[in-house]
Amino acid sequence: MGTGTDRIVLHVDIDAFFAAIEQQRDPRLQGRPVIVGAGVIASCSYEARRFGLHAGMSLGEARRLCPHAVILEGHAQVYRCFAEVIFECCREIAPSVETFLDEVYCELTGTARLHGDLLGAARALKERIRARTGLSVTCGLGPNRMLAKLVGKTSKPDGLARIEAADADAFLRDRPIEQLAGVGRAHARTLRSMNLRTIGELRAVPIEALAALFGAVGRLLFERCRGRDTAPVSAREVPQSISRETSFHRDTAERAEIEGMLEYLVGRACRTVRELDLEARTVAVRLRYTDGEGAERARSLASPSDADPVVLSLALELLHRLFTRRVALHGVGVTLSHFASHVGEQGDLFDGGGTFRRESLLRAFDDVRGAYGHGALVSGRALHLKGRLAEDRHGFVLRTPSLTQ
Amino acid sequence: MPEIHIERIDEAVAVRADFQGGVVTPVAFRRQRREHRVARVNARWIERTGRHPCFFFSVTDENGDVYQLQLQSAELVWWLDSVSLEG
Repeated sequence: MGTGTDRIVLHVDIDAFFAAIEQQRDPRLQGRPVIVGAGVIASCSYEARRFGLHAGMSLGEARRLCPHAVILEGHAQVYRCFAEVIFECCREIAPSVETFLDEVYCELTGTARLHGDLLGAARALKERIRARTGLSVTCGLGPNRMLAKLVGKTSKPDGLARIEAADADAFLRDRPIEQLAGVGRAHARTLRSMNLRTIGELRAVPIEALAALFGAVGRLLFERCRGRDTAPVSAREVPQSISRETSFHRDTAERAEIEGMLEYLVGRACRTVRELDLEARTVAVRLRYTDGEGAERARSLASPSDADPVVLSLALELLHRLFTRRVALHGVGVTLSHFASHVGEQGDLFDGGGTFRRESLLRAFDDVRGAYGHGALVSGRALHLKGRLAEDRHGFVLRTPSLTQ
Repeated sequence: MPEIHIERIDEAVAVRADFQGGVVTPVAFRRQRREHRVARVNARWIERTGRHPCFFFSVTDENGDVYQLQLQSAELVWWLDSVSLEG
């Protein structure tokens, strides 16, 4: 065991998250290959993984490999409820917790006197999570985030593993380059073309060369291949982006329906931005045509904003520039990114306080929707969706709500 | 292999429930003048997006059909959300 001041991070990964919840909600799915996703796999059960299925694979390919798999479109709101319970369990044992949709980092540095054996604390956490949610998680303990996550991966599913700082070198050396955090498909291809196949081999590359190849990421890779990662576990969660997207119930080329859906999605995304006390700088609109083609365009706002009308005006402009083909749309989405802390919108000196009234109005909308559900208020073009889509307390029931954001 | 279809119902139903130990558990519900006995509670979760939490249950009735029920704590009303049918 360390000295008590040594850094120790716990990584908690929910095993086959969405698929595991679906198997729990419907026991007839247990032991069967289950896929959650629309278009591509968002999550699949371990039974499905035996057929070579994995997240990100197209559903067409998945059906070919595993024709008897059960495919479900997913219930994002249900998954969030389960995740919240798991986050709560983690907050009970760690002073600082950073949460993502299906994983959590817990900073356990300095808690050895409180918990005693940290492996035992992680084991108890796993049991508590199972008792409260019925879900299994894999835990990895390590001297930093990267190693904690990586060592956990070696013991999935339902695993528990720990790596000490002294063992990091041997642990990393022979691992394939793709396992290093920050090495995606494109970077891996570049590195392999240079005959660099393992994390150990990457250590021979000078930092200047990595920086020249990959920029800031190259510098990170130089540290990470040596087992070094100083990124903190920060409780404040500022997402990289907030996306809301959906497929239409029926492919459509009708402007009013597309604009109505876009307004609705912008409204939901902006509400999340306001809840996090942020303002978005960049707006992106994404289209999926029925023939499988996609189009995406992003632009920055003049100044960061969390106001629906400001974001919508840019989103509609992007839509009009993007939607040029005479092909019906299968789906539409909006992504807000490059967030700044909320400082309030810069008002126009001569607008008679309109900006501030609008800000108050949006906050009042949020209060009503918080109390009675998002569907309690529907505005503008989104009214066009009334009667066309089913509604529940969250608003319109979208065909494929975003499973990840 | 039979497919699973989810059919939305969205109607208020009468539910017999057990509130022992501060935990609510549905025991049976009545739909279209027929009582469905809950053979098993498969999963339960709480949604806290509104001012009042909603308690959700996935249950299997004595025929093996899987239903989703919710208790809206604000109005203390039970809703039958959906049924999952196999075949």
